[in-house]
Amino acid sequence: MKTVRITKLLMFMLLWQGVSYSQNSIDTIDFKAIEIVADRLPDAYKISQLDSTSIKQATNLSDLLNSSSTVFIKSYGSGSLASVSFRGTGASHTSVLWNGIAINSPMNGQVDFSLFPTAFIDGVELNYGASGLINGNGALGGSVNLQNNSQFNKGLQVGLTQSIGSFNNYTSSANIGFSNTKWTTTTKLYFKTNQNNFKYTNTALIDRPIVEQFSADLKQYGLQQEVFRKLKNGTLGLRVWYFNSDRNLPGNMLNYNKEESLKVSENQKDESYRAMLEWKGFANRIDYKLSSTVLADELIYENTISNIHSKSKTLTIDNKVSTKAYLNNNFTILNNLSIRFEQAESSGFNTIHSRFNNYWLFGITKRLMRLEATVFNRLTTVGDDFNGFSPSVGARYQLFKKEQLSIKANAAINYNYPTFNDLYWSVGGNEDLLPEKSEMLETGLSYTKKFKSTLISSELTSFYSHVYDWIIWMPNSTNIWSPSNLKQVENKGLEYSLTVKTKLNKIKISFNGNYSYTISTNLKAQNNNDKSVSKQLIYVPYHQLNYTLNLQVKNYLLSYNYNYTGLRYTSTDNNWYLPANFISNIALQKSINASNKTKLTVGLKVNNLLNQEYQAISWRAMPGRNYLFTFSYQFR
Amino acid sequence: MKNWIIILTLLILFSCKKDELGPQCISCPKGSITSQNADVLIINEGNFGWGNGSLSLYKPSLKAVTNQIYSSANSNTPLGDVVQSAYQYNSKIYVVANNSSKIEVLDQNNFKSLGSITGLNSPRFLLPINATKAYVSDLYANAIQVVNLISNTITTSIPTNGWTEQMILHKDTVYVGDMTNNNLLIINPNSNNLVDSVKVGIQPNSIVKDKNDKLWILCSGGINISNPQLIRFNPQNRTIEATYTFPNIGDSPGNLKINGNKDELYFINNNVYKMDITASSLPSTPFITNNNNTFYGLGINPFDNEIYVADAIDYVQSGIVFRYNASGVLQHQFNVGIIPGNFLFIN
Repeated sequence: MKTVRITKLLMFMLLWQGVSYSQNSIDTIDFKAIEIVADRLPDAYKISQLDSTSIKQATNLSDLLNSSSTVFIKSYGSGSLASVSFRGTGASHTSVLWNGIAINSPMNGQVDFSLFPTAFIDGVELNYGASGLINGNGALGGSVNLQNNSQFNKGLQVGLTQSIGSFNNYTSSANIGFSNTKWTTTTKLYFKTNQNNFKYTNTALIDRPIVEQFSADLKQYGLQQEVFRKLKNGTLGLRVWYFNSDRNLPGNMLNYNKEESLKVSENQKDESYRAMLEWKGFANRIDYKLSSTVLADELIYENTISNIHSKSKTLTIDNKVSTKAYLNNNFTILNNLSIRFEQAESSGFNTIHSRFNNYWLFGITKRLMRLEATVFNRLTTVGDDFNGFSPSVGARYQLFKKEQLSIKANAAINYNYPTFNDLYWSVGGNEDLLPEKSEMLETGLSYTKKFKSTLISSELTSFYSHVYDWIIWMPNSTNIWSPSNLKQVENKGLEYSLTVKTKLNKIKISFNGNYSYTISTNLKAQNNNDKSVSKQLIYVPYHQLNYTLNLQVKNYLLSYNYNYTGLRYTSTDNNWYLPANFISNIALQKSINASNKTKLTVGLKVNNLLNQEYQAISWRAMPGRNYLFTFSYQFR
Repeated sequence: MKNWIIILTLLILFSCKKDELGPQCISCPKGSITSQNADVLIINEGNFGWGNGSLSLYKPSLKAVTNQIYSSANSNTPLGDVVQSAYQYNSKIYVVANNSSKIEVLDQNNFKSLGSITGLNSPRFLLPINATKAYVSDLYANAIQVVNLISNTITTSIPTNGWTEQMILHKDTVYVGDMTNNNLLIINPNSNNLVDSVKVGIQPNSIVKDKNDKLWILCSGGINISNPQLIRFNPQNRTIEATYTFPNIGDSPGNLKINGNKDELYFINNNVYKMDITASSLPSTPFITNNNNTFYGLGINPFDNEIYVADAIDYVQSGIVFRYNASGVLQHQFNVGIIPGNFLFIN
């Protein structure tokens, strides 16, 4: 009856408001560490770096995290909105950083991971739990740092890649780089179209027909340009990134309609401009990095059925100084200052809204024999709100002198400030919202062992967090959908990761597996009849497991990826659930060295090898077995 | 190497096919899905886009509820969302699923699907005109759709401007709440022509007819636009006879219902209120207080004047229905589907 008060637009915005969850990964074969020392986090925290092989094999960030970490991806389908959450927290509790700068939308606090092709990313680092604190406020679950890597003195480098896949999926990308000892420039281009008209059994209809997915086509293109100059003690440069996406939004399986006229009704266009000026270096025992970043995003949502044409524009200007001073070999002082301006203009707001979101982070790291201890505090101002206490303490201790076996522990308090949608959405926005507060604890054990041609690396982590004043949208007493600090959530669990790299005769083997167990429960009741108390949050799987096995013989590389997502509840009383799903992907690739400077690679990837029918979100169709053929040319 | 192969094989075996697909219910009481006279059908809206709207069947004499009766009767397929309203007509039950843009036509005895009316935009309510013809109000279509009840197809449409809500048929004239323009639209169902419109209060969300053939229109007042109003309208001379204005602009009353004798009005304004059609002012004290529950849906059983009130709790779990006797004493409470919003009393 009153549900009608929620306009379709608000519901569309609320899709983002979504739900939760957790964890982890590794570094494998030929990953070259990216040295941004001023940014690097102390060892007391859980950090994982995704390997470059996985990055190359995934098409976008959402696929990448899905296959090689247990961070939970909530995806509305191939090419559709995908949000990411760590350890039972919500999608707006994940900070997404581009070379250290948060790019989350000030409107909803989130990032759509389907809009980040891996072609634009050289490295991905995941920071779990308390480590996210160092990147600023908001990261109650963790953060994902997308890295670009500028290399000098490599001469001319050219790469061209063309993929052709099922459902008229065509992706072209190119990168052209040139560098000498003083200058480096890289240009990356990307273009993708995907009809996405896969066939599936529509179990939402009585006769269960095999139907074709409609209105899921998309077009994306983008450009990334970097120019860096080597200075005496560092580098100075500029990165520019443009991205454009235009997609139709498919309805759910129930909305499958035979009438042609109703097939395409929702469309979303996203456009992003990002520019970053960065100066970093090392002088007088100080590592420093200064950056100025401008982020401008536009989102146009159109719905022909409900006659909505909505436009949102956001602008973020971020200036950041990070320094790390080495007083001696055992004592470092970290100072980060960030001045950030956020602005948003939307059909959903009455006026343009803006605020400053600044922080100063101060910390020390001290090493004593095999113990490394860290203490931080962050002072934050968001709008008129000042918070002087967001601390974190952590320590790592190496148990034995000759074994890489360490124990870690850390604790932190972090805040997530209400987004512009939460505060100002008209109607419903609530300007009296408090920031969400999380108290976090983490302990871990990590072990790395190298013998002969084998490397084993393993990490076990347990985590706990208590989130207060969690913001949820619900109809208020006058039946208007409105956010309030109504929820209180407790998250706890375990994460385990194992990496093995070895050589058997002529076969290079690498294995990377991740497992997580998450209990995420609601602690607060709406009234006496509320059955959601002490129940698992919706869309937070208890179990997640994935592993990738790479076998390399000469120029052949065979990769097998297995991905298990345990059951997720879809109602807060845990009366409804989506069954667990098991997805396997396999890829075979061959490289041919045409000359000592040119390399050709051909690859075939089979996604959803066993043709599993599954739903990641209730009644959203997912593609069955599908193929991707890739051809690439590299010159260096 | 051998070990690897074994481990790999084991893990692949994990992935053998399951029968479960899509959302599964852990505890959905199974029971009779055969309807009888005086049964109560509870219409659970479900969440927008989640496909989890449903029907529950309640037998008052047995105090027994069966949830998910549509799915049970129709090979476990989902009903749709947001399930807005249901009508019983011609031995059939018509269920309007707003966001699923359709009306399911069910056999009134066993709830098996007999077909569906598709191609609608965002349907809200259905009003049968005669054995072959019905009107469907709509949130976004800018029209009232005219459907053929024999062929289950749209035959024509009556242009309107914006959101049309509840409808009532009285003496060969149709009265429609126009939520966008705050009008009562008057339509001639023979010609399908809009013949008149009368300004009422802001957002006329519900309409009932009393025993004196007067229409009562409840206007929520919008979101702090004006004070809500309850209006008594005389269809004979198309005039507003009385306007009862709510004292608080922040109030948002809805769910106007009438008892079996058609002489007592009920509505929700945080609490449930009851008002005699001859009363000179709005009731000042609640008939049923909410006790910290959020009253979301209301139904008055025309056979015994029992009162059914629905609470959606957090809108993402099984809602609850409170059944009170005619004097407002709680008789029974039971869990139904997600977001119970409406009731249909089967006869």
